[in-house]
Amino acid sequence: MITDPTPRTSLGEGKSSRKNSATEARGGGNPIGLYLHIPFCVRKCNYCDFCSKPPSENDFDKYFERLKSEFSDYKRSPKIKINSLFIGGGTPSLLPLGYFTRLFDFISDTFDFCEDCEITAEINPGTLTEEKAKEYRALGINRISIGLQSIHENELKMLGRIHSFEDFLCSYSLLQSLGFDNISVDLMYGIPEQTAKSLKETLEKIIALNPQHISLYGLIIEEGTRFANRLSELNLPSEDEECDMYYLASELLRRAGYSHYEISNYAREGYECRHNLKYWNTDEYIGIGAAAHSFFLGQRYGNTRDLFSVVRDPLANGETDADEYVMMRLRLSDGLSLDEYRKRYGTDFCHGREKLLFRLKDLGLLTLDGGKIRLTERGFYVSNSILTELL
Amino acid sequence: MTNKQEKIRNFSIIAHIDHGKSTLADRILEKTLAVASRDMEEQLLDNMDLERERGITIKARAVRLNYKAKNGEEYYFNLIDTPGHVDFGYEVSRSLQACEGALLVVDATQGVEAQTLANAYLAIDNDLEILPVINKIDLASADVEGARREIEDIIGIPAEDCPAVSAKVGLNIEDVLEKIVTDIPAPKGDPNASLKALIFDSHYDSYLGVVVYVRVVEGTLRAGERIRLMAKGTEFEVIEVGTMEAFGLNKTDSLSAGEVGYITASIKTVGDTRVGDTVTTAENGADEPLPGFREVHPMVYSGIYPADGARYGDLREALEKLQLNDASLVFEPETSVALGFGFRCGFLGLLHMEIIEERLEREFNLDLITTAPSVIYKVKLRSGETVMIDNPSAFPSPDEIDTSYEPVMKATVITPTEYVGGIMDLCQERRVVFVDMKYLDTTRVELHYELPLNEIIYDFFDALKSRSKGYASLDYELKDYRPSRLVKLDFMLNGEVVDALSFIVFEDRAYTRARKIAEKLKENIPRQLFEIPIQAAIGSKIIARETVKAMRKDVLAKCYGGDITRKKKLLEKQKEGKKKMRKLGSVEVTPEAFMAVLRLDDDN
Repeated sequence: MITDPTPRTSLGEGKSSRKNSATEARGGGNPIGLYLHIPFCVRKCNYCDFCSKPPSENDFDKYFERLKSEFSDYKRSPKIKINSLFIGGGTPSLLPLGYFTRLFDFISDTFDFCEDCEITAEINPGTLTEEKAKEYRALGINRISIGLQSIHENELKMLGRIHSFEDFLCSYSLLQSLGFDNISVDLMYGIPEQTAKSLKETLEKIIALNPQHISLYGLIIEEGTRFANRLSELNLPSEDEECDMYYLASELLRRAGYSHYEISNYAREGYECRHNLKYWNTDEYIGIGAAAHSFFLGQRYGNTRDLFSVVRDPLANGETDADEYVMMRLRLSDGLSLDEYRKRYGTDFCHGREKLLFRLKDLGLLTLDGGKIRLTERGFYVSNSILTELL
Repeated sequence: MTNKQEKIRNFSIIAHIDHGKSTLADRILEKTLAVASRDMEEQLLDNMDLERERGITIKARAVRLNYKAKNGEEYYFNLIDTPGHVDFGYEVSRSLQACEGALLVVDATQGVEAQTLANAYLAIDNDLEILPVINKIDLASADVEGARREIEDIIGIPAEDCPAVSAKVGLNIEDVLEKIVTDIPAPKGDPNASLKALIFDSHYDSYLGVVVYVRVVEGTLRAGERIRLMAKGTEFEVIEVGTMEAFGLNKTDSLSAGEVGYITASIKTVGDTRVGDTVTTAENGADEPLPGFREVHPMVYSGIYPADGARYGDLREALEKLQLNDASLVFEPETSVALGFGFRCGFLGLLHMEIIEERLEREFNLDLITTAPSVIYKVKLRSGETVMIDNPSAFPSPDEIDTSYEPVMKATVITPTEYVGGIMDLCQERRVVFVDMKYLDTTRVELHYELPLNEIIYDFFDALKSRSKGYASLDYELKDYRPSRLVKLDFMLNGEVVDALSFIVFEDRAYTRARKIAEKLKENIPRQLFEIPIQAAIGSKIIARETVKAMRKDVLAKCYGGDITRKKKLLEKQKEGKKKMRKLGSVEVTPEAFMAVLRLDDDN
């Protein structure tokens, strides 16, 4: 934890060294992304180390007070334009009816929505009601991300999820019936007791529903989670089994017509998540709410996990440096454009790395075509080691 | 005998390791009031941390103590401490030669053990009066009568009225002091004869140069006189002589026959003052040196490299500093393709090697990579030439060799009878020639063997300990070089020989060892982006192979809510780790993994 939090008043002030983006971000410039964190859940999942907890009485209102105050830090004239909004959590759909409307009042007070703004809300099947879904629709939310993880009850139970597959199907058809036509389903592999066969079943069932986007994350045992505390009793798939699952999933999704556009993300053409792409493109975004991170006016900073007060920690290496750019770009199937790299950093990325790049190419871990370096499927899966070699 | 000599008692304390030698030395110091107890650091004679930690004494030291006996007379005790391990047998024998008597400490809970015997024999060889002391009688499991019986039956010296003490709690120490006065003979020797003084130790002091510890056997040693060290004939002028008191050096005018003291003479390195050498005067010196001097040669060699190549210079300085006080440590620069610049170091034995390594790491804050220890092989070439090989990489190719020889040790193992079977089996596996077996009493057996030093440094000692639940003790000394079928075993990663992993092995053992090490390499080399073949070879013949499969997974799945710092941190950590990696050809290995492969003795 960095001990010298940025004073809240300094946002966008006195950053003369970053004149261009500062001017832009005061309004009228290129639109940026906005992330909103709702740190409440019915119950914390066994693997979860996000900032979230079951709400106590009045927590929603107290939290909204905090959000209101934090929004005011970003008031500019003209307003900052946003072309992506992501309301994540926690479980945003846990908020009672009417809260989303209040939230959108805050947002439109401070920010200017672009015409084609991508507006995503994360929902949890156990918490969505028809009224809430209609509220989302009415507010202009045009993308829904549903956390499912698995279709198997034993795996859901193992993860500590509060919903069944049946709950998911209800939510899914409800959303479709209301006209939501950009739905993403979150799935997981590497779950204790999961097998390649059970993952295949999950994927086949979901592919049959034909969502526009699928995220598939490998389970990571994070410190301090319930899973970490009983690690020894978890029947986790071996590293090899996990790899097999990853390749199996990539293959199934590819055959079903999804493009593997980022290490953990698959989409129908044109349905890549614009908001997440901002992270990988090292574009700017503002994060509001507990533990939310921002990359704004050339500075990276993160809110602490304090729910009811805003404390910002500047993050070391705030500047988007070349390594960071490479690291993020190589997560994308679109890869690293050598031209773009040269434009940004004035140097040739390949210089001094020729031998290494050809070696990695020979090993089938990356391709060098059309002025772009792209990791292969296999390369994606050992991307940390490749980056360690390259950077 | 002069009046002065009558009041002197020169003695050592000898014991098996952990029987309480240093603790008894402390109590004797305390009781003689040479220093007040509160001022005394624990185990004053052992003035190095490391020795204390291991409960052994590496370098001999001596101290002069005053004792007022019950008969009302005042005596001077010269307590000469001895190193307590098999690697330092020669040094022990020279320390004993400086004495008239020895306290033989026997742990009442353990009885007589291998080094008890070995030390007792050394003392007997030096015609010392042996004064047994039974220690640790405060412990519940102490068997004083049993220990007495063993001393009488096994060593063959009377013990019916020997002191039974607890050095730890300070019980009956007076008895020991009185026995020293009554039982240990006063020194003899003519103060007016030609000078003969025995060097039993030396140490380097940055102000005084080398301080030489001597026992004057004949004649008188005076400050200002010119002396000659008889082994090499080198001459020096004595600057200072004196005695070693508990508080430090005490300058005197002279030292005469029977006395123990020190000399300084602008001597620059301890290598000039060989333990066991005789000091005489340059003019009218003695015709014959004292008996028993021999050159000490290293028995075990190992390559020592800094984990961080940039610290090569620091390593050299550290070795030079240690050598100032340890003439038995030898080293010369060597280069390894795998490990870079380092030194080939020679040691008296395995323990000596471990101590040096630990001191380098601890006192000089160095991270080391050491290659597997090797003994010195003798190879007669077809050309007729004979070469000594202390480095596996210098081992001649098979077609150049006429005969190769390896050092064979005379070893004594003492063990409780119930483990004899297991130890016999072990010895059979290790190319051991059984010589003799002797029952020391109804519960213990003394086994005599001849075994190659190569086997001892591999893992014999650990195997012995594990097969006897730690009860068996081992003592050994060089017997001779014998013809042997030796081959050099090489290891290849990705088709390239890793020189630092090569070693010399008895031919019949090569296959098993090769497989074991190949497996260990496989376990310890982290998966990389490519597959790594591991091969073991004798010459061009591959005798074992393994494969480290390519890494399949190393990915951070998600960047949470735009928090890219986690990923950056992870990558930075990985990059840090990578810096510490050692390149073995195209393969990266952590220093830990490298050491794990070289450490062959932990899972056999």
